[in-house]
Amino acid sequence: MKAALVRSRTYSEVKMLIPHPVLGLRDAREFAYLGDARLIDRPDPSAPDAEAAFCDYVYLRDNPAGAHRELWFHEHGDHSWLVVTRNTITHEILGAELAHDVALARKRSVK
Amino acid sequence: MANLRPLKALGAENPRYASFAALEIRENLDLALASLALRRKTVAPQPFGLNLPRPGRWVADQEVAAFWTGPGQWMVEAEGRAEEDFAADLKEAARGCSVTEQTGGWVAVEILSRAGTGPLDALLAKLINIDLAGFGPGRATRTVLDHMTCFVIRRSETHVAVLGARSFGASLWHALEIASRRIE
Repeated sequence: MKAALVRSRTYSEVKMLIPHPVLGLRDAREFAYLGDARLIDRPDPSAPDAEAAFCDYVYLRDNPAGAHRELWFHEHGDHSWLVVTRNTITHEILGAELAHDVALARKRSVK
Repeated sequence: MANLRPLKALGAENPRYASFAALEIRENLDLALASLALRRKTVAPQPFGLNLPRPGRWVADQEVAAFWTGPGQWMVEAEGRAEEDFAADLKEAARGCSVTEQTGGWVAVEILSRAGTGPLDALLAKLINIDLAGFGPGRATRTVLDHMTCFVIRRSETHVAVLGARSFGASLWHALEIASRRIE
């Protein structure tokens, strides 16, 4: 019951602090929310199955009840993109890293 | 076309000023601003001999001051030079970097306390959701104030500057004026 109550509120009403890797704890209201962090994993447009891969990339999302990695933009801040891991049931923030670092690490691991 | 008189950023013929029990707030017309951004694979310059500050910081020397605005990005301030082409000067001093004139885009409001740090801390606590324990002199940040995005600079224990977009300068002044009046 308690969880349902929390979930029914909007982001602006829930007092959340996001641990910005550079600037420390910051009010979630300084941020704009984009969505699933898998948007970083853009498929290769030259691959043979590119059409199907892009269809999944654009339309398919998981909807986990629990830890979720998502993209947040520090709009009223340093304009960085963060990958925030948030528990979708409790709104607990489990971690935050710069999306730039996440994308770089991914690029290196693919090579 | 006679009798055209220019208005200041806050819509008055003179720069706005208001004084209250412990605080005074003043529109700063003379502050020149230019943003500085590093290009890929360039090293941070030292414009006018200034060491550009780390994240969340503001530094000042005799001529200019600067605060961090994002990774590889700073805003450079020059007091008293709003009517010059300060950006061109900065571009000369920071070769290879991207420099954009910002003076016309912002209003600067200087807030001074006559009664020590207490009233100023009370004002900031009311206006911005920033941990004041870590917001001493030499700190600067962008944040939200009354739903408006702005830069807040702690110039000293008793002096804070707020930079807001000129398009909502009047609303920013209103918010600061009302909040300052209520601080005893």
